[in-house]
Amino acid sequence: MRRGARATLLIAWLLVLAGLGWMVSQRLKISTDLRSFMPAPTTPDQRLLMEQVGDGPGSRLLLLSISGQSDAQLAALSQGLATALKNDKRYSQILNGSFDLGALDASLLPYRYLLSPTLDTQPLDEAYLADQLQQRLDDLSSPAASLLKGLLPRDPTLEVLKLAELWAPAKSPEVREGVWFSPQNEALLLVQTVAAGFDPGAQQRAIDGIQQAFHALPGSAGAKLELSGPGYFSVVVGAQTRHQADWIGRISTVGFIALLLLAYRSFSSLLLSALPIASAALAGIAALTVAFSEVHGITLAFGFTLLGVAQEYPIRVLSHRRAGEDAVQSVRALWPLLLTAIASACIAYLAFYASGVNGLKQLAVFTIVGLLVAGFSTRYLLSHLLPVRVRDVADMRWLAKARAFVDRLPRPRWIPLVVALAIVLMLAFARGSFWQNNLAALTPLPQDMLQHDARLREALGAPDVRYLLVLQASSEQGVLALSEQLQSQVDALVAKHAVDALELPSRYLPTVALQQARQQKLPDRATLQQSLHEALQGLPFRPDLFQSFLDDVQAARALPPLTPERYAQTPLGQRLAAMLVQRDGHWLGLGTISGVHDVAALQALGENSHGTVRLLDLKAASESLVVDYRTRILQALLIAAVLLVLTITISLRSLRRAWHVLAPMTLATFLVLAVERVAGVEISLFHLVALILAGGLGLHYALFFERDTGDPAEQRRTLHATIVCVLSALLVFGMLAWATIPVLRAIGLTVSLGVAFHFCLSILMAPHASED
Amino acid sequence: MLLSLLLPLWASASASEPAAASSSAQALITALGQPAPAHTAFAEARFLQVLARPLVVSGQLSWLGGDQLQRRVDHPQQETATIANGEVTQQRVGKSPRHFSLKRAPQLQVLLDSFVALLSGDAGRLQQAFEIRQTGDAAAAWTLTLLPRDAKVAKTVASITIDGYAKESRCMHMQEADGDLAIDLLGALAAKMPAQPTREALQALCQGTP
Repeated sequence: MRRGARATLLIAWLLVLAGLGWMVSQRLKISTDLRSFMPAPTTPDQRLLMEQVGDGPGSRLLLLSISGQSDAQLAALSQGLATALKNDKRYSQILNGSFDLGALDASLLPYRYLLSPTLDTQPLDEAYLADQLQQRLDDLSSPAASLLKGLLPRDPTLEVLKLAELWAPAKSPEVREGVWFSPQNEALLLVQTVAAGFDPGAQQRAIDGIQQAFHALPGSAGAKLELSGPGYFSVVVGAQTRHQADWIGRISTVGFIALLLLAYRSFSSLLLSALPIASAALAGIAALTVAFSEVHGITLAFGFTLLGVAQEYPIRVLSHRRAGEDAVQSVRALWPLLLTAIASACIAYLAFYASGVNGLKQLAVFTIVGLLVAGFSTRYLLSHLLPVRVRDVADMRWLAKARAFVDRLPRPRWIPLVVALAIVLMLAFARGSFWQNNLAALTPLPQDMLQHDARLREALGAPDVRYLLVLQASSEQGVLALSEQLQSQVDALVAKHAVDALELPSRYLPTVALQQARQQKLPDRATLQQSLHEALQGLPFRPDLFQSFLDDVQAARALPPLTPERYAQTPLGQRLAAMLVQRDGHWLGLGTISGVHDVAALQALGENSHGTVRLLDLKAASESLVVDYRTRILQALLIAAVLLVLTITISLRSLRRAWHVLAPMTLATFLVLAVERVAGVEISLFHLVALILAGGLGLHYALFFERDTGDPAEQRRTLHATIVCVLSALLVFGMLAWATIPVLRAIGLTVSLGVAFHFCLSILMAPHASED
Repeated sequence: MLLSLLLPLWASASASEPAAASSSAQALITALGQPAPAHTAFAEARFLQVLARPLVVSGQLSWLGGDQLQRRVDHPQQETATIANGEVTQQRVGKSPRHFSLKRAPQLQVLLDSFVALLSGDAGRLQQAFEIRQTGDAAAAWTLTLLPRDAKVAKTVASITIDGYAKESRCMHMQEADGDLAIDLLGALAAKMPAQPTREALQALCQGTP
């Protein structure tokens, strides 16, 4: 190809890439929500989990502590922060222990008679009023007078205070200086975010809001604000993983470039050979944006990992070039084999598309499109662009020695048997459970952070994230009614210390029926006025003082009962909304539980309820989901293996040759599993994905070693290409294996081991040149 | 020449500093001091807007040392309120104790500051919390007026006035910003609380001679 034509081709290619990049930047919507990567839930518990993972009241809770100053200053900061956050749309509830008379929205004040349980046991008659008024008189002569003076005319029976007490967390921390304090002298706050707990983006914004509000407070400079809770953890874990992946990525990129420069001594070759990979990545993402409305972050992370295979294509081309030969000619000789490799990988990944799991489907589309684009652009574009004059690697002296060494290696036929036996033994003697079902174990939190969380949770009596009591009924009111019925049993459990606290939805809103029953018990204005008049006899209160009380009771008699929709306008209604979920034509109520001591007693709540009440163990549900997920991957892998055998056998047109390719690959894959198991590693989804990548790389090694051209120079080039590939993979993934975050280490270790085993076994099990 | 010009300036500058209580007020406060624990009988009349007639209670006030103050009511109903470590504990016969923070009851903070300072004779502390004015004769009938320095406290408590004679405090008036008033008769005077007190009658009692 002439110079001009080459320049045109290069510019056209770059333009297409720029176009793809622009399209991707316009259309790509990355979802961080873990749920969209998970398989469709099958059991009711799993489905609830998927909703709860993001939306549950427990997962939206942030625990805050402020420390480092005197109690008085910390209390002022706590109050300042609560005030600042109260009117922010990002938060549905802020609790700091201060006596919150504003818990009930001012416009809803008359509703206090329908919400408070007073009327259930106590009519608003003369005797009750007289007793209450006498108590208020005592209050007025006490030091607490100033707290109550303002409230007295409107609310002589202090219903607002009863509601505030009812809505305060069941087990409150110590109150000092008017706000909650931990035994470690930290001011404590509870903040419920509107954003879902496992939406790291939205949680980040909520956390930023808290930090900004805090730092804007006067006197916050010397104090320390610490956060905890699921939302905060998801943000921290995301940032930590990204940070570590980034710096490891930077180091290995530099190493990778240095390695390729050393191997090919050509800058232009290096830059050009990056183009197929870039095209693959961009085309893969572009295909995803066309096929799916949202792309999951994990899909991209897995996808880029799997795309590592495509690195091989340009490397093979570069290594197999002969001096003076046109790159197009070198590629042509290589193409049938390369095509076999690409096709078999793509066909294998098709199995993932058939798995039916959205995340895996996305992964399949991304890798198949990416591999095809990388392969074909290497063949039809890159080959025209590579400079003509190159060194022939076959002339390198060390390579000739290396090839001679490889040729001299004994290749006894019993190697597969010995390796297989070793695998079986290692798997048999491995300790611990085979599978890691707890996805959270892969992105663990620092121990001190967990301890801090446990301490705050204990001090605040904040609900456990693991258990939920689920109430099911055909309507919202049905759920609230069920919740009301359950209250006495729940109180008994708390009294028995089976559980520290269990918060049911009816705590925030009674049923319409109960509200109406209370309404019926409210006296009419004349009756109330008469009772009040009599109750006031002999008491020093000003006779006309209680007009607003009479007005409120009057208003409460005519109020339409409070429903969740009407309630939702207020912060407390938001709190309730998180506890009521509509699904498939029925309603679920979610009771949050703190301090579980006796799981069996909680489970017993569901007995005889015909499934309307049950205890949901989110951990068990999530683990069963992971098991389901793995089953899907393993099924897909099995189908992929069958497809792979068929493709390789058909394209090589020989069972024996197919054996030489597939046997080392299979053995190496199982060897990685066995070695990791013997080292005590529990296998997770991430290990499986890494094994698939290593398998793809191993397939290349085996295919190229198996290809016997009878030409020693070509064999040396094959060895050169393979060594460059192995070294670059070891460099990139070996670096990852040093990461401290288990998910990165899992991928790094598995791929590194895989590459090493695949390389060794495909050499040792390749047919001898003399055999043919 | 220059100095004589500067001197008045300096004098006026120092006058605008938080007014130091006059030395006679300081001497008076120091003279009032007693060793802890100090007890005194009290009878309190509260004139509240929500009430048609004043509320009268009586009992004993005790300074237990440090920032601990106890207010025991014997009539008409037994009740004890204790202030310690910034928290108020209220105990009534037959009821579980109630706790709340001192921050929520500014009157109590004022009461604590003024009372502890007076009983311990700590003029410095009193001066930190209040602007102090003294009228009358330190050796005979005198009146101390305390105005809270903290703007937040001043929103609830407008002023405290203490009437005394020689080394004895006889009366304490707490004027709240909303117009409510509490008058405490202290020590021997407590026994003289009328059954139907009026502001004027109490005022006369406080300013009379023992």
